[in-house]
Amino acid sequence: MKNRIKPLTIVCLTGLLIAFSGCESFLEKDPQGALTQETFPTTGSDALLAVNAAYGTMLDLRFHSGIFPLTDIMSDDARKGSNPTDQSTEIGPYDNFMFTKTGNELASWWSTLYMGIKRANVVIEKVPLITMDETLRSRYVAEAKFLRGLFYFDLVRAWGDVPLVSNLTPSVDLARSPREDVYSLIEQDLLDAIAALSEKGQGSGEPGRATKGSAKALLAKVYLFQGDFTNAEKYSVEVITSGKYGLEPDFIDANGVNGEHGIESVFEIGAVGLEAAGGNGYANVQGVRGTPNRGWGFNRPSPDLRSSFENGDPRLKGTIMDLGDVIDGITILGDGTTPDITRDENGTVLETECYNRKVWTPGTDVPTQFGHNRRILRYADVLLIAAEASNENNKPGQALLYLNQVRERARQGNDAILPDITENDKDKLRLLILEERRHELALEGHRFWDLVRTGMAAEVLGPLGFVVGKNELFPVPQSEIDISKGTLTQNQNWN
Amino acid sequence: MRSIFFRTSVLILLLAAVFTQAYAQNRIITGSVKAGDTGETLPAATVAVKGATRGEITDMNGAFRIEVQQGDAILVFSFVGYDPQEIIIGVQTVINVVLQATQQTLDEVVVIGYGRVRKSDLTGAVSSVKSKDLVKITSSSPEQSLQGKAAGIQVTSTSGAPGATPSVRIRGVGTFNNSSPIYVVDGVILDNISFLNSADIESMEILKDASATAIYGSRGANGVILVTTKSGTIGQEKTNFSYTGEYSLQLLTKKIDLLNGKEFAIIANEIPGDPEYNNVDMAPNTDWQDLIFRPAPIHSHQLSAWGASKKSTYYIGIGYFNQQGIIEKSGYQRLSVKLNNTYNLTRSLKFGNNITIAPYSQQNEPGVVFQAYRAWPSLLPYRADGTYAGVQGVGNPMANIDYSNSFNKGVRAVGNMYTEATFLKYFTAKSSIGIDAGYNKGESFSPVYTVLYYGGTESMQKHTKSSLYKGFSDNLTWLWENTLNYNQTFNEHSVNAVAGYTMQNSNSEYLNVSGENIIRDGSDFWYLQYNNVSGVGINGGLSNGVGDYYSMISYLARANYSYDNKYILTATIRRDGSSKFAQENRYGNFPSFAAGWNISQESFMEKFSKVSKLKLRASWGKIGNEKIAYANRFSLTQDMVAVFGIGDVLYPGVTYGRSGNPDLRWEVTSQTDIGLEIGLFDNKLTGEFDFYNRITDDILVDLSTPGFLGNGQGSRITYNAGKVLNRGFEGTFNWRESVGELTYSIGVLASTIHNEVLTVGGSGGIDSLLYGGNIKGFLTQSRVGLPIGAFYGYKTDGIFQNQAELDAYPHTGDAGIGDLRRVDVNDDGVINDQDRTYLGSPIPKVIFGLNGEVTYRQFDLSVGFQGQAGNKIFNAKEFIRPDAYNFEQHVMDRWTGEGTSTTEPRASYGGYNYIPSDKFIQDGSFLRLRSLVIGYSLPKATCEKMNMTEFRLYVKGSNLFTLTKFTGYTPEIGSGDVLSNGIDTGIYPITASFSFGVNLTF
Repeated sequence: MKNRIKPLTIVCLTGLLIAFSGCESFLEKDPQGALTQETFPTTGSDALLAVNAAYGTMLDLRFHSGIFPLTDIMSDDARKGSNPTDQSTEIGPYDNFMFTKTGNELASWWSTLYMGIKRANVVIEKVPLITMDETLRSRYVAEAKFLRGLFYFDLVRAWGDVPLVSNLTPSVDLARSPREDVYSLIEQDLLDAIAALSEKGQGSGEPGRATKGSAKALLAKVYLFQGDFTNAEKYSVEVITSGKYGLEPDFIDANGVNGEHGIESVFEIGAVGLEAAGGNGYANVQGVRGTPNRGWGFNRPSPDLRSSFENGDPRLKGTIMDLGDVIDGITILGDGTTPDITRDENGTVLETECYNRKVWTPGTDVPTQFGHNRRILRYADVLLIAAEASNENNKPGQALLYLNQVRERARQGNDAILPDITENDKDKLRLLILEERRHELALEGHRFWDLVRTGMAAEVLGPLGFVVGKNELFPVPQSEIDISKGTLTQNQNWN
Repeated sequence: MRSIFFRTSVLILLLAAVFTQAYAQNRIITGSVKAGDTGETLPAATVAVKGATRGEITDMNGAFRIEVQQGDAILVFSFVGYDPQEIIIGVQTVINVVLQATQQTLDEVVVIGYGRVRKSDLTGAVSSVKSKDLVKITSSSPEQSLQGKAAGIQVTSTSGAPGATPSVRIRGVGTFNNSSPIYVVDGVILDNISFLNSADIESMEILKDASATAIYGSRGANGVILVTTKSGTIGQEKTNFSYTGEYSLQLLTKKIDLLNGKEFAIIANEIPGDPEYNNVDMAPNTDWQDLIFRPAPIHSHQLSAWGASKKSTYYIGIGYFNQQGIIEKSGYQRLSVKLNNTYNLTRSLKFGNNITIAPYSQQNEPGVVFQAYRAWPSLLPYRADGTYAGVQGVGNPMANIDYSNSFNKGVRAVGNMYTEATFLKYFTAKSSIGIDAGYNKGESFSPVYTVLYYGGTESMQKHTKSSLYKGFSDNLTWLWENTLNYNQTFNEHSVNAVAGYTMQNSNSEYLNVSGENIIRDGSDFWYLQYNNVSGVGINGGLSNGVGDYYSMISYLARANYSYDNKYILTATIRRDGSSKFAQENRYGNFPSFAAGWNISQESFMEKFSKVSKLKLRASWGKIGNEKIAYANRFSLTQDMVAVFGIGDVLYPGVTYGRSGNPDLRWEVTSQTDIGLEIGLFDNKLTGEFDFYNRITDDILVDLSTPGFLGNGQGSRITYNAGKVLNRGFEGTFNWRESVGELTYSIGVLASTIHNEVLTVGGSGGIDSLLYGGNIKGFLTQSRVGLPIGAFYGYKTDGIFQNQAELDAYPHTGDAGIGDLRRVDVNDDGVINDQDRTYLGSPIPKVIFGLNGEVTYRQFDLSVGFQGQAGNKIFNAKEFIRPDAYNFEQHVMDRWTGEGTSTTEPRASYGGYNYIPSDKFIQDGSFLRLRSLVIGYSLPKATCEKMNMTEFRLYVKGSNLFTLTKFTGYTPEIGSGDVLSNGIDTGIYPITASFSFGVNLTF
C-alpha cells in the first residue's frame, strides 16, 4: 500500500504542476474565422477587399430606400402596387402621405446608408496608410469617396440635416449637422474623386466601378439640387464632351439587360441572378406578381403617369407593362388576387394592374430578377441635367440641344411623334424639361425629388396629400431619436 | 440456631408467595410490528416494558412474543429511524403496532457544491426536490418537474413543442443577458439538462443564496441546480431491477376564441376593399385550429438496475421517451443510457464514473400556429379536387405542414470520471474530469409545390425549386477539477474545508450548407452535390464558423466550522479568470460569508419540547457572471461580395463588422439572505422562510447603438451598463403526519419578487433606456424604476363616438370617429411618443405552489398546484397585422355607430387601432392543477408470489385545468431573452395530458 502511494502522489503532483504552468496562455482565445479590426486592412489585397465591401452595400436590399421604392410611390408616377392587402398598413400610407415615423423601412434605409458610409470610411482612413502600388491606392480611396458622396446624397435629400460621420470613431452623442455642411462634404469628396479617378475604360478597373465620369455626373446632380446651376452645367457638360458616353439606340436597353455596362451607363450596380449573396432584390420588389412570378409587384405605374405621355411616345410601353403584353416571348398574366381595374366611388379609374417595365429581365423565375443591374446614373439623365442647368444659366440654345437629343432617341426614327422642342422662354422651358425628365426617367426614383427641388410638389402632389413644410423631407426614424435620447431632433412638423 | 431456620423459612415462604403471585399474574403478549412508510413488517424492532429492563426483538417476520408481569403497564416499541410508540397493555394479549418513520432528522445530508453537509450545518438557502417528486410530470425535460415544488424558482415553458426546454429563473430576473441558472450534474457544469431522464435523478438541490452558490463563483450568479443521479449502495449487494412504463395522451385544452366564417364575413364587409361577401350566411366556415391540432401520444419506458459488491457499486439506467406533438410533423424522441459506477481500488483510493449518453431526434413543426390564428375562416381548406386551397396573406397551414420536413438529430454525452484518495485520516483529495460533448445535425427539405386558390389561380404559397438545408454542429466542453477536502470532528468542534483548482475549456463549431433542385423528394435523396450539370447549386449557401470558444481557470476555497452543533460559520472565496475579458479585467474575486445558529440545540430550548428545530441563518456574498458571446470584446471584420464586369462576376469584399468593447469586465451579483427554519411537533410541521436581496451590477448587456455608427440596422454593442435589484420573501410550509396506515402531507410555498432596474447605460454613454421586443417598434423598455422588460405603449381610454369628441381631445392625424382614444399622458396637447408609458410587467409578483400527498395502505394520491400572479402578457399576435387576417371574438362588439361601444373600435384590418397599446395587454396570472397522480400498489404478499418487491399501477394527469383570464392558449409565455419576455407571438400551445403507467421493482 505504502509503496503504491508514493509514486501515485508524485504522478498527481507532477500533473498539477504541468497544469499550473500552462495558465495564462490557456486564457488567450483569439476570434476564430475573422480578423480583428487592428489587423485589417494592412496589405494591398486587403485594400481591394475593403473597397469592394463598400460597393457591396448597394446589394443590400435595404439600401434601396428601405426595400420599397418609397419616393416613386409618394409621387404622382406610381402607387403602392402588389395586391390590395400586401403591406397595406406599412407601405400603403405612402400613397397619400399618411405614413408615420415608426416605419421599419425608414429605419433600415437610414442604418444601411450609414453602414455604407462606415465601409467607405474604412478605405478613406486606413488605406492611405498601407504601403502598396500608388496608383491603385489612390484609385481605391477615390472610389470610396465617390461612394461616400453617393450615400450622403441619399441621406441629405431624404432627411436634410443629418449626423456627419467622416471618420471611424464618431462620438456616440453626435447631433445632426446642417444640410449645407453635408453638401460641402459631398462636394469635397466628389471633387477629390474626380481628380484621382480615370475615365471609363482607361484604367478605371472593372465595369461597375466608379469612374471620373460617374463622379462628375453625380457632382453635377448635387449642384443642381442645391440650385448652383453654373457648376451643374460645368460638370454635366464635361461628361458630355468627354465622348465616353452616348444614348442606347433602343430606349429599352437604357435600363435593360442588353445595356448593362453599356454606352449609356454612367454608374450602375452589378448583380448576379441569384437569390443569394451577389443578387440584388431591387427588381424583385417591383417584378411582375403572379404569372410569370417575377416578384412582389410594388411600384405600380399610375393612370396619371400613363396619361402624361405624349401621343405615341414609345417610352410609355418602355415604362409600363400591361396585362396581356408579350415581352421576350413571355405573356404577362399578372396576379389573381390583384383586381385588374380599381375604381373609386365615382367610377374614376384609380389604378390598373400593370408593372414597371424598366426592371424586367428576360426569364420566368424570381432568381433571374435578382440579376437586374440598377442604373444609378445614366447618360440621358446627364443630358437633361445639362439642359436644365443651361436653361437656368440663360442658354436656351444649349438647353434645347441636349433636350432634343433625348427626344430623338425616344422617337426612334419615327418623325411623326415627339417633335423637337423649340421653346425659348426660360420658365416655359423649365416646365418642359421637368416634364421630359418625367417621361424619360419615370419609376427610376427621381420624380419626387425633382418636384420638391423645383418647388412644384405642393401643386402637383398636394391633391395626393403632400403637406407643405412637412413632406419635403422624411421623418427621422423614431428608433434613432429614442436611442439618441433626443440628441437627434425631428424634422419640422413631423411630431 | 432456631432463629436462623425460622428466618430462612419465612423468607422462602415469602419468596414462594411472591413467585406464586407473580406467576399467577404473568402473561404473554404477542403481535407484530410494521413500518408505516413501506407497509412491510419490521424485523429486529425492540419491544420493551417501560420502566423495566426487559425487552424482546421482533423476528424476521416482524412478530414478537413478550412476557409481561402484573404492574407492567406500557410496552414501548422502537426501531432506528422510526418514532417510538408507547402502547398501554391493558387486558390485550395481541398488540399490533405500526411505527412511523422519523421526519427530517438533523443528520439528513444535503448536497452542496463540492461536498455534502448535514442539513443542520448548512448556512445557505437550499431547496431540495427528491426523486419521487421528479416523476410526477411526464416531460422530456426534468426542469419541468420543479414547477411549484420549491420556493424561489420559476419554471416557465417557452413553447409546448416536443423537446422544448423551459426557462428557469431563481429569485427573479437577475440580469439583462442570460438569467438562467447553471446545472451541475454529478460534478459536470452544464447549461441545460435536456439529455437527462428524470427517472435517473436521485435529487435536485437548488442553491439560491450567496453562501450556497459562492463556491461556483463565476457562474452561480443566477443560482445553481445540483443534480445527483442514482447509484448503488455499498453493502446492499442484491441486484435490484426497476421498470416503469407509461403511456400518455396529450390534448389541447383550450382553443382561442376566433371569429367563424359568417362573423368574419360581416366584419370584412365593413372594411373597404377585398374580401367582400354578398351573402354572409353562405360564407364557408373553417375552424383552422381544429384542423391543425390533434391528440398525440407519449410513450416512455425506463429500465434500471443497481446494486453493489464488496468493492464497487453500479447503477445502469436505460430510458426511452417518445413524444409526438399535437401538431403533425412535430415530435421528440430520446434514448438515455446512464452508467454510474464506483470502485474502491484500495482502502483509501476510489475511482468512479457517471456517464450519460443520450441520442435524440426531434422534428420541428413549421410554425403553423400563427398561420391558423390568422387564416380567414371563410375559406375552404381544400379545393374541389381535394388539393390544398390557398389562403390569402398567410398560406394554407395544412399545406405548410405537409410540405415541411425539418429535423434535428444528434447525440449528447455527458460524463465524469474521478479518483478520490483519503489520507492522513481527515483529508480527501479528488481529481475529476467532466466532459459535455454533443453532435447535432439539422436538416430541412422543401419539395416543389404550388398551392392554388379555390378558384384555380396561383397563390403566393409556392416553391419552384426543391431546396435542402443541412447544418452540422459539434461541441465539446471539458472541466478538470482538483479539490482537497478536510473533515474533522473533535469534541464539540466540527470543521469541514475544501480548496481547489479547476480549468475549463469550451469549443463548438458549425457548418451549414444549402442547395436546391434535389432530384427526388424522399429522404433518401437529402444530400447535396455541387454539380453544375444537374443544377444543384450551393452558391452562397455555405457558412462555417465557431460558436463557443472560451476557457476559464478558477481557484476556490471554503471553510465551514460548527461548534457543538449550535453555531456555524462558513466562509468562501473564489477567484475566476475568463478568456472573454482582456487581461486587465480578466480575473474576478467572489467572496461570501455566512453564519447559522441552531437555536433548537440550545439548552434553554429544551422546555419547548414541541419545537424540534429552530434555526436562524444569514449570508452575504458576491458572485460573477460572464455569459456573453466569446468574441464580444473584439471588433471584427465581416465578409461580403460585390459584382463587377460585363459578365456579372462576384468579387469578395471584407470590411468592419460588429464593433467590440475591449473594456468588458465581470458582472457581479451581491446577495444578502436571512433565513429561518422551523420544525414543530417532531418535525411534523416544518417551515422555511427567507428574505433575499440581490443586486446585480456592471451587467453585461447589448445596447442599441445609433444607426450613424454604421454597424447596420439593429446592431448592438456589449457594455457593462446596468444594475438590477431583485428582492423578496420565500416561504415554505410542510405538514406531514401519519395516523395508522394513513400518511399525508401538505405543502404550501410562495415567493415574492420585486424586480427593479437601478441603472441602465452609464459608461457606455448610450442611453438610459434599454429597448426590447422589437415588433412594430419596441414593446419593452427597461428603465430606471421599472422591472426588466417592462411593457410600454399607449394608454387608451374609450372610443371617439362623434366628431365633437374627436375635436375635443388631442389625437394624431390618422385617428377618426370610432377609433381608440389614446391618452395624452403628459398633458401637452399632442399625442406622440412621449405619451407612451409603462403598461405592466412580465415578471410575476408572486409565485406559489400547493402540494398534497396521501398514502393509505395500497393507495397513494398526490396533487400539485402552481401559479403566479401580478404579471402581464403582451398579446402581440393580435397586433402584428401587415395584411388582412382573422380576428379574436371580442371584435364582434365593435363600434358601428355612436354609442355602440366604448371599448372596441371600428373594424379595420390594421393601422391606427393596432398600434401597441394597453388594449393588447392582458393579465397573465393563473392557477393551474399541474399534476394529479393516483397509484395503487399490489400488497406485499402478492408481489412476493411474483418475485417482485413492488408492483404499482398509476394514472396521472398533467395540466388538467388552468384558471386564467388570458385569451391565448396558455398564460405561460417564457422567453430566453429577458428583454422580450411575456410577449405572445403565437407560441405552440402547452397541452394537458392523461397517462397511465406501471412501476415494477424486482
